[in-house]
Amino acid sequence: MSLNINKAFDSEKNLWEVKLIGEIDISTANSLKEILIKLLEEKEIDIKLDCKELDYIDSTGLGVLIGILKRLKSIDKDIIIINPKPNISKLFKITGLDKIFIIK
Amino acid sequence: MTTKCANKSEDSKKENICMSLPSKPEYVSIVRMTSSVIANKIGFNIEDIEDIKVAVGEACNNAVLHGCDSNIFKVEFIISEEKFIIEIEDEGKGFNVDKYPHPDICNPKESGLGIFIIKSLMDNVEVKSSPGKGTFIRMIKFLNEKDKAYN
Repeated sequence: MSLNINKAFDSEKNLWEVKLIGEIDISTANSLKEILIKLLEEKEIDIKLDCKELDYIDSTGLGVLIGILKRLKSIDKDIIIINPKPNISKLFKITGLDKIFIIK
Repeated sequence: MTTKCANKSEDSKKENICMSLPSKPEYVSIVRMTSSVIANKIGFNIEDIEDIKVAVGEACNNAVLHGCDSNIFKVEFIISEEKFIIEIEDEGKGFNVDKYPHPDICNPKESGLGIFIIKSLMDNVEVKSSPGKGTFIRMIKFLNEKDKAYN
């Protein structure tokens, strides 16, 4: 199983646009964490996660996103999740995380 | 990884598949994929298959995170006409089930969502664990009437 992460800086909206492709689980969550932390070290701005091609996420992946969101919230920034598949929306909903992440 | 082929148990309508895997993150996806293939074969709908896959993944995460590198964890899939039972057992550190916190959305934590997710997605969940003695998780998903009729 693999996870591909495409990242780009959107200068117009001043945010990181990160496309997640594949699966985030216990074996790939750490690489996601490292990449997101690196982006924030470069620029502490909003992160937009495009989940159109994200097939799976588990609690380890959600844990990474919670950690990054906490860091962003402390400086009044956010994580915006767009295009989640129904199975991924369901997980955000049952854990109540749909109330702390911006999901579009 | 070792996989025993399907053994017929006393009840001819029940069949078991057992797996024994190293407690390493890279093996979790194998169990997850296997569970979704079996759930599909039993006749569950797509949403249920997805629930089973996530719940099994979480139980395996638990086994890997609480186990040690040299340990193995065991998975048993019990297949019958009306339900799918999955048992996941490790000999790792274990944890105190009673002290397992309910997620608090006002103070979200980076870990501790796993068991909560399993309980939300499966119809029946039993967790036995104690510090130093490993963990046993048994979960059941029932085939709904509509899917049964379709089969």
